[in-house]
Amino acid sequence: MTLALVGASHRTVPLDMRERLAFSAEQAVEAIQRYRSRFPGREVVLLSTCNRVELYTAGEDDAPPPNAEQLVGFLAECRGLDVGDLSGVFQRQVDRAVVRHLFGVASGLDSMVLGEPQIISQVKQAWAMARERESTGPLMTEMFQAALRTAKRVNHETTLGRERLSIPSVAVADFARGVFERFDDKRVLLLGSGKMAAETLRYLRAAGAEDVVVLNRNPQRAAELARRLGGVPVDWREIDRELVAADLVVSTTAANIPVVTEQRYAGIEQARGGRPLVVLDLAVPRDFEPSIGRRAGVWLYSIDDLAAACEANRRKRQREIPAATAIVEEETQQFMTVLHHRHTNPVIEQLRAGWNETGEAELDRLFRRLPDLDESARREIRQAFDRYAAKLLHPPLASLRDESRAGPPHGLLNALKRLFDLED
Amino acid sequence: MSEFVSGISVVCFAASYGVALACEASRLLFRSGIRGAAMVAFVLAGLAAHTLFLGWRAVHEPSVPLSTPFDWYLLAAWLLAGGSLWLTVSNPKTPVGLFLLPIVLLLIGAAEFSSRRPFPQSTTTQVWGVIHGGFNLASSVAVSLGAVAGLMWLIQAGRLARKATPLQGFRMPSLEKLAHVSSRAVVIAAWTAAAGFGSGIVLNAVNRRRGLLETVPWDDPVVLRMATLLVWLVAAAIASRLVARRPQGPRVVAWLSLVSLAVLAGSISWGVFVPTRHGVPPAGHIDAAQIDAAEDAP
Repeated sequence: MTLALVGASHRTVPLDMRERLAFSAEQAVEAIQRYRSRFPGREVVLLSTCNRVELYTAGEDDAPPPNAEQLVGFLAECRGLDVGDLSGVFQRQVDRAVVRHLFGVASGLDSMVLGEPQIISQVKQAWAMARERESTGPLMTEMFQAALRTAKRVNHETTLGRERLSIPSVAVADFARGVFERFDDKRVLLLGSGKMAAETLRYLRAAGAEDVVVLNRNPQRAAELARRLGGVPVDWREIDRELVAADLVVSTTAANIPVVTEQRYAGIEQARGGRPLVVLDLAVPRDFEPSIGRRAGVWLYSIDDLAAACEANRRKRQREIPAATAIVEEETQQFMTVLHHRHTNPVIEQLRAGWNETGEAELDRLFRRLPDLDESARREIRQAFDRYAAKLLHPPLASLRDESRAGPPHGLLNALKRLFDLED
Repeated sequence: MSEFVSGISVVCFAASYGVALACEASRLLFRSGIRGAAMVAFVLAGLAAHTLFLGWRAVHEPSVPLSTPFDWYLLAAWLLAGGSLWLTVSNPKTPVGLFLLPIVLLLIGAAEFSSRRPFPQSTTTQVWGVIHGGFNLASSVAVSLGAVAGLMWLIQAGRLARKATPLQGFRMPSLEKLAHVSSRAVVIAAWTAAAGFGSGIVLNAVNRRRGLLETVPWDDPVVLRMATLLVWLVAAAIASRLVARRPQGPRVVAWLSLVSLAVLAGSISWGVFVPTRHGVPPAGHIDAAQIDAAEDAP
């Protein structure tokens, strides 16, 4: 059994080349069907995302997978590219390296954003598509199952994909959620129409926020933004009243000076009745004077505060790489041991069959000589023979299993074949 | 079976809670896939042993529960351990046990130092005794839960003020939820403490009227400490209401909750180590049967 991979990813290939190599879902189906007819009897899975194009193939000893040049040629043909243009574009790997690579990819270790979770579903989709086209066999099935199991372990046993990395997600999940238990009874005030406001609002909506008010100096823009984001437009002159009513402010105006000074906030503070206020000031220059954040009940986060939190989370993810890599290595070793051990199955079966045949012949002869034995005695003798054979077989089988950890145990298999006169 | 149950000691469940607390504390040091399950298993084991221990005493000791200081402390610890388990299972990422289990262990420690002699009582006084003990128990549990919520509020507010992201495996509930729990707990603690104190006065009056049991004087250390606790809790409840609509209100309530726990701890220490006539049988001991017979007499 041989595994092979040719692939290009964000690590090795620039975006313009990845765009040319990328397969749409229909193109991927077509490529798999073409592969099946071109290389019958071989297994294949095509993984194509915005950051990678990888062709995983496998074959038995009598029908090995195509070599790297054939695979690159095949991909070039599928995408209508000249093979010469793809020189040095694809990485080529075989056997153990293929398994380790897939397990790392599925775990998010090879992703552009370390630990991003979408890759697991993309790997699942690629495998499902290959299964539907019947281009996978036992080897690919086991390898992809093991890859998903590895990804699950990495996700469960490390925090690789857990820390948030985008400013809006950190603002909502790590800070706003630390203040408020629920958002469906909170009023969200959007000040300005910066790009990040919409993204932050998306996270707030997911957290349950329903009551959204949009304030913009330009009434038409406020109305358009409110329509697009599902909020209520309010006249800019109502800003103080809205600051009193708001529980959470997302501020992204393009103003050159602070929109809300501490003096202004002090004027409305009493009217708020002691309710806490979360301010996500995503504007540069800032819309809220920083001193407002030192007032009781105000939780003010600027774009720099949130960026620093994102960076801290990124470092936390980096610290998880050794633990995640260790899991990938462990799972790879386990998978390869099983794979190598499979080489030994025919020899073990022959060995067992030969010993059973000899045992049965000896038992028949014994029972003919001792015709007075009752059924119970015969059963006891038969079981003793079976136990004896199993005990004799145990040491060579254990040696085969141990040897499989390092690779296919060809030496031991040949020795067994010669010692016990087994067929090749 | 009965031999097994009778063999359960305070050390059995205290040790289980102690190991569960160590598991919880290890969240701060390293990640583990099985720690949560181990922690729940140890609290469950402790709670099972604790329940069997209290059940055994309820069956074999007269007038249990709440009729001895020892059982009172153990019942309070049992309630908090149950609460800790429930909160841990419903919020696995929040280290509730780290805050509640030390209080459970302190209550078990207080039980070990307290009297196991039942308060002398008749059928009538037993009802008032249970009401008195029950309200005081509820008050102590409310103070403990409020203090835990208050402490968590201060930790969470500190993290948000530092603009730091949450520690993995050490997520606190939101400030909104913690402030709600601590402010409610302060008020409930004050009401139940007042009811406990009032029912204690009634219990004392019943004893005095019957002339069968020795009454507790007003200057007894237990009366003084309970009065101190009551005054503090009422003041804390009033203060929490006064600051409710101010921006610094939740922080003030958090501190009030913590100080309430300190006052309760002081009160318990006072009760454990200072001699009292509360629950002490009168000279020339009269047992419950004699008292009941006397009550039934025309």
